[in-house]
Amino acid sequence: MFNRIVILQSVVSGLLMGGIYALLGVGFSLTWGVMKVINIAHAAFGILAAYIAYWGLTLYGIDPMLSLILTVPLFFCSGLIIYRFLIQPITRARDIVVASMILTFGLAIILENAMLFAWQPDERLITTSYSTKAIFLGEIIIKVSSLVGFVLSILGISAIYFFLHRTHIGKAVRATWQEPEGAALQGINLGKVSMITFGLALASSGAGGVTMAYMYSFNPPAHNLWLIFLFLVVIVGGVGSVVGSAAAGLIIGLIIGLSGAFFPQQWINVILFGLLMGILLVKPEGLFKT
Amino acid sequence: MRSKRSLLLVGFLCVLALLPLIRPPAYFLSFLFKMFLFIILAESWNLVGGFTGYLSFGHVAFFGIGAYTSAMLFQLAGLSPFLGALPAGLMASAVAFLIGYPCLRLKGPYFAVVTLCFAFVMDLTVKNWAFLGGAEGIHLKLVPLDIQVSRSIFYEIFLGLALVTVLSVRHVQHSKFGMGLTSIREDEDVAQTLCIRTAGLKVKAFVLSAFFPGVAGGIYAYYISYIHPDIVFDINVSILIVLMALFGGGSSWLGPLIGAGFLSVINEFLSMFIKPEIARMIYGALFMAVIIFMPDGVVAYVRKWAFRPEGASAASSSGEGEAQTGERPC
Repeated sequence: MFNRIVILQSVVSGLLMGGIYALLGVGFSLTWGVMKVINIAHAAFGILAAYIAYWGLTLYGIDPMLSLILTVPLFFCSGLIIYRFLIQPITRARDIVVASMILTFGLAIILENAMLFAWQPDERLITTSYSTKAIFLGEIIIKVSSLVGFVLSILGISAIYFFLHRTHIGKAVRATWQEPEGAALQGINLGKVSMITFGLALASSGAGGVTMAYMYSFNPPAHNLWLIFLFLVVIVGGVGSVVGSAAAGLIIGLIIGLSGAFFPQQWINVILFGLLMGILLVKPEGLFKT
Repeated sequence: MRSKRSLLLVGFLCVLALLPLIRPPAYFLSFLFKMFLFIILAESWNLVGGFTGYLSFGHVAFFGIGAYTSAMLFQLAGLSPFLGALPAGLMASAVAFLIGYPCLRLKGPYFAVVTLCFAFVMDLTVKNWAFLGGAEGIHLKLVPLDIQVSRSIFYEIFLGLALVTVLSVRHVQHSKFGMGLTSIREDEDVAQTLCIRTAGLKVKAFVLSAFFPGVAGGIYAYYISYIHPDIVFDINVSILIVLMALFGGGSSWLGPLIGAGFLSVINEFLSMFIKPEIARMIYGALFMAVIIFMPDGVVAYVRKWAFRPEGASAASSSGEGEAQTGERPC
């Protein structure tokens, strides 16, 4: 049963899945690293984006990829607004990590229940014209929709990477991540940088949500499970690191894929959480941060 | 003044204890029962989360462990769950020791994540373990009594347990042990330089804070007579107790009491009159409002306004909660 094909197939589909976790996780990691804000509502925003894509497709026949043109700027702007009116008031709290977790948990409750109220708890699945198609590489099957999601993730992560490394504002964001006080002394406006980071994080959660929706069915409460994947990505990849998040996403996808080949389905999450606990205990700063 | 206040408190408790005698509707008793449950959970959570600042998001796991322990003792050995509650609490404490020892080295969000994962692992493990009933859950025999009587009995037990929990936490808060815990929250490194054995204190607090949920879980199993991982390891409960405790304010024993009581009432009222989704949205907005406007919790906020030197208590304006908050921790 455990022949070469099965393993190869699990590796490939695991990696495809992992790319998507990475895109969803990178924004979460950024806000955590740069602003010390743990955004519990991150995955809920992803679900919201998935719903926008779903309704665009079902009602107007708009391809989910095209819906990103609307979703990403919209989420960026709402990120700016949320930062200004919700996050900024708590930045002076004694323990911003805790305060932000509770605040965004409240936000997640509101989002989840607003979505439940508007769209019922039914499981939704994005079915495009190409979701039943697949590419055959020898004996390995690659679903076109997974491939599309994966490519989108790579594009999204690259965009964030180039923003952080090539633009002036992006460099300011990284400087703030490394040493907030030093950055402030160099004339970097921390409030502005945090605002942009939060906008960027939400934009990436929107993109990540849509790509997730390519592979999984979703309903409003699903954000709790997605959140666990976010934590996994951040803990494995190291807080605030884009490259770390990308690598962590791929590794996690690989582990899920491979354990799917060897263990019964219901134990996979136990393995994942056990792994997460193990990594936390041995190397809490993440595997990729020096 | 002080004796008058404690007399009032004792009177209030007596009224609560004698309440089943006037045979209120079973619904009302169940509601109070649930409120006591949340008071027990939030209050014991506060020992670790509030006093030391180590946020445990997996406290429901201890509740679940307690429920399963007493249910298994009942199934296999025929031990009455009222007696089984004690081993249930001890079991939860033992697990807390094993988990807490390595995990309490982690700080801040990392500890929160690892405890959250612990609750998930427990949930999934029980679901996949046929010996513990798996995803089917365990059916327990119902208490062979009239519903009104049995509800009254459970009500009394939980009232007593809540009282014991609150008094223990209050005792801890004013003891040397509690001061050590507070010093960990304020600055752990400095505490260590002052010869406070923070590692030992943290584990001790964690073990103690797992005991009460374990006992409560042991009794709760018999109360609902059907336990399932989704019920007793419900992660939402875990998060809810954190929010309740911090809503009231984590730095004193009074905070979780007020938070759990107030939010239980609000929750019940909201879900009675409007659609549950909207009720929960209001609930979420409440948390956001508290964290933005009263970051130290309702109790600290009220105290700040009500006990200003000028006595400008008119400024306090946040609902029924303060009727009880008026009293200082004595």
